[in-house]
Amino acid sequence: MIEPVQSTVWQKLEPILSAAAVPLLAVLTAMLVGAIIIFIAGGNPLDAYWGLLEGAFGSARAISETTVWATPYIFAGLAVSVAFKGGLFNIGAEGQLALGAVASAWVGYALPDLLGLNLPAWIHLPLAVGAGMLAGAIWGAIPGWLKAKTGAHEVINTIMLNYIALNLTSFLLNGPMQDPNPLNVIARTPLIAEGARMPPIFPGYRLHWGFVLALLVALLIWWVLNKTTLGFEIRTVGANPNAARYAGVNVARTIVISMTLSGILAGLAGAIEVTGLNYRHELGFSIGYGFDAIAIALLGKTNPLGVVIAALLFGAMRNGATRMQFLTQIPTDIISVIQALILLFVAADAIIRWLYRIKVGEEKLVLTRGWGG
Amino acid sequence: MDLRRFGFILLIIVILIGVVVLVGGKTVPAGTIIASMLATTISVATPLTLGAISGIFCERAGVVNIGIEGMMLAAAFFGWFAAILCNSIWKMPAMPSLLIGVVIAILTGGLMGLLHAVLSVTYKVDQIIGGTVINILAVGITGFLNRQLFFEKGSIFGGQVPHAPGVLPRLPIPILADLPVVGVIFRQQPIAILAVVAVAVTHFVLFFTRWGLRTRAVGEHPRAADTVGINVIRVRYANVIIGGMVAGLAGAYFTLESVPSFEPLMTNGRGFISLAAMIFGNWSPVGAWMAALVFGAAQALQINLQFFRQQIPPAWAFLQQAYVVGLIPYILTMIILTGIIGRTTPPAADGVAYEK
Amino acid sequence: MRKFVILSLVLAFVLMPLAACKTSKEPDCKKADVFCVGLVTDVGKIDDKSFNQSTWEGVQQAQKELGAIVKYIETTDAKDYDKNIAQFADANYDVIVTVGFALGEATIAAGKKYPNVKFIGVDQFQAEVVPNVVGLIFPEDQSGFLAGALAAMMSKSGKIGAVLGTDAVPPVWRFGEGYRAGAQYINPNIEVNVVYHNDVGFDKTFTDPEWGKTTAISMIDKGVDVVFGAGGKTGNGALLGCAEKGVMAIGVDTDQYYTVPEAQSVLLTSAMKLLTPGTFALIKMAKEGKFPAGGNYVGEAGLAPYHNFEDKVPADAKAKIEELTAAFKSGTMQTGVSPAKPQ
Repeated sequence: MIEPVQSTVWQKLEPILSAAAVPLLAVLTAMLVGAIIIFIAGGNPLDAYWGLLEGAFGSARAISETTVWATPYIFAGLAVSVAFKGGLFNIGAEGQLALGAVASAWVGYALPDLLGLNLPAWIHLPLAVGAGMLAGAIWGAIPGWLKAKTGAHEVINTIMLNYIALNLTSFLLNGPMQDPNPLNVIARTPLIAEGARMPPIFPGYRLHWGFVLALLVALLIWWVLNKTTLGFEIRTVGANPNAARYAGVNVARTIVISMTLSGILAGLAGAIEVTGLNYRHELGFSIGYGFDAIAIALLGKTNPLGVVIAALLFGAMRNGATRMQFLTQIPTDIISVIQALILLFVAADAIIRWLYRIKVGEEKLVLTRGWGG
Repeated sequence: MDLRRFGFILLIIVILIGVVVLVGGKTVPAGTIIASMLATTISVATPLTLGAISGIFCERAGVVNIGIEGMMLAAAFFGWFAAILCNSIWKMPAMPSLLIGVVIAILTGGLMGLLHAVLSVTYKVDQIIGGTVINILAVGITGFLNRQLFFEKGSIFGGQVPHAPGVLPRLPIPILADLPVVGVIFRQQPIAILAVVAVAVTHFVLFFTRWGLRTRAVGEHPRAADTVGINVIRVRYANVIIGGMVAGLAGAYFTLESVPSFEPLMTNGRGFISLAAMIFGNWSPVGAWMAALVFGAAQALQINLQFFRQQIPPAWAFLQQAYVVGLIPYILTMIILTGIIGRTTPPAADGVAYEK
Repeated sequence: MRKFVILSLVLAFVLMPLAACKTSKEPDCKKADVFCVGLVTDVGKIDDKSFNQSTWEGVQQAQKELGAIVKYIETTDAKDYDKNIAQFADANYDVIVTVGFALGEATIAAGKKYPNVKFIGVDQFQAEVVPNVVGLIFPEDQSGFLAGALAAMMSKSGKIGAVLGTDAVPPVWRFGEGYRAGAQYINPNIEVNVVYHNDVGFDKTFTDPEWGKTTAISMIDKGVDVVFGAGGKTGNGALLGCAEKGVMAIGVDTDQYYTVPEAQSVLLTSAMKLLTPGTFALIKMAKEGKFPAGGNYVGEAGLAPYHNFEDKVPADAKAKIEELTAAFKSGTMQTGVSPAKPQ
């Protein structure tokens, strides 16, 4: 009598577990290798991982900080995933994010002065976020259009656009958009108006509604990709552009839409950071959101739910790293090594399969089709 | 490479140098300016040329390699580390230490090339993902090891970074080096010289040897090549490893020829600019070299405009902004990619994993 | 499949409790006899051979001479400033040193939030007085002025240069403009070429020795015969470029005769700002209960010894430098350099 019940539960769980098997094992194996490296370098891996865990989840504040880190990762990971689904490689998340942040910061602090009005929150905030989305959309559309029209590969174009965006941001934040407060010398914008700020969910903690928005957007993207015609077109072009063409899909248009959508999501990442966390945009350091986003997208198998989990994992690691350093003085670079190993194991999953004797049965993610048209 | 593209590149270089001469010509003799810009151009172009050659080897055989950045970085670190080990711990004199460093850098590059080949050719991992993995791995490992090896735990700064054995010396060519203005071209350091040699050698090998023919066949029509008896897998492996080694030499430039120290992330995107140079040059060694020279000239322009800031007429004041001039290589690359200046023709099977 | 699930569950359950067996003990800083000092860096590493490192060495001196327990946290992203300071503050650290002007706001906010903790803000000018926050600042413009004056006196070609990090950082601006002012004070006709590394982000501007070297060599090719290299490793690159070309160089922050030995043969002097002794002095004051009640503490600045150039610097040049140094100290002389780059 027990058997049938067990097997139905199992039937429900199994697909999820199979799909999650390789990524999960990749993470565990990477952490194991990381522990070995820490040990060889003279540290205590147990202390280190304990510090990591404590820093990421050990208190209400820690969890709040983890979600703060995870929020832009979710958006950026979704951005890269959407592009992947469409058969495109968006390495430009970094630049799209930066411009999204700049645009939304500008609307945040400059618009009230420009219009001479005090804008209420329900207008100002969406405008600010929308500006970020628009900036990201443009920066994503450019390489998309170039690919559709001229066949120029989006990898190089997005990389070039990253550098252009960085230079542009540098210029704006050191010049016309710089905080005019005489006490300020850092390259950053003035604070955005009250009306453009997203409130924190619990006072005293930095966890803000942007995180909730990120989860909702993830759901939305899942729905778009799997339940709408557009999503179908994107995925078909991604899987086989020729077949899509025969099926009547306008491949060029779809490519542009995919990259634009990807850019919108990356721009959102920047906009949410500005409106929900920092309330301004500061010339930051390139912590490599772009490449982290690729790793997150792959770890999450370009599935929005997977991306959310992967983003939380990466956010936890980045957040917990400071506590780890505080407790053990082990440098935070080890986190980068672990993340690189995770990516390695996910990408070359044959290694994981061999290690843990898992049967083949997965879709291979292949997107590269050379550089030209 | 076609005339239109060649002319375009030459034109740009002339414009870049010309602008500086125009601006600074009143305070400094034109000859000095040209010589100075040539020197800067060549040194900036060296790693880009080598990186592009690395890319050419890989891609002519049909394997996309965006991991050149990571290969350069890892090679820069391990080559430098080896040189310091030899010089400070094993007390070898400077030159042998540096040479060993170069060898280790090349080997490191080759090893990473091997990794890329294993991932892309054998495991058929998507080649761009494989390249990304190499980049991220290189950043993480070099950052971590740089910290652990030179700033030991316990007394975090107990380990001072040992005195590096300097950089590779300049090797002036006897009579040519004394020529006015252009003499500076003939007073280069070994890796800069090797870069030019590599261009010539690669061109010869690719287009005039059987080995090069096989490589190009594999890159254009692997299945046809296979039918004719060429071992596609072996050719790809060989080319990717060689590509890795050339990238390793590029890495050696940073820490053994330019400045004797390692900084995390010191390659600073030059691996990607190399790819741009390769595409710019239409996958030909000479073309890539010219493209690298353009990028070098653009950087020279930037530095010199800052130097001559006072002399820039007010109408052109925006040029002062380093940001504006710094954008030139990137925008140029994007323009080239659109094909306006002649079609870019990558190897036909570039990026496609070969299924037997 | 089933095997995998069991395996991973076992792994997870085994690792969890193991992780709980942490072996290190945290110091109890609340106790009166336990003196804890924490350092929070700006985005950038503790091993950057200048700024962050010099300050850390001051903290380490406290560990050695005052028996303090010391730790550091490196910031990897500007949004972590508050969190990183809080790590120390919540653990009841006695003194927290924050390095770099970018941490200014976060430090003041933390100072107000944790009134029992003493904060030392390196390079953070305190415009208002917060009783437990002291800004450790330096007259970099004076140091730069002396360097420029010396360069003007030593230059034979009438052209001198400076290669610096980004001028968005006030101390760097002060060094650069002080250099220019000092040179022009000695010789109004001198050609001073000051180049700031503004074209890259903050993460790169102080860690780009190649650019420093290329820029210095480019200047030297055009006749510059004294180069001031200021800006972490970027500046070090400039010094190396000078060494390669055999042209006089001036270092920065500390006596670079020791930190860049490759340039010893050409190193005229260094425009110093003594971070290590300054940091240590303030920490010592905190321990002894003599911590200033807010405001700014001006550290020492000046030129390093001439080392190999001891005989090559003419006596009247040395005398001039001493005269100017004394004038600055007594306050009779001003450099005229604005504290930060005008908007």
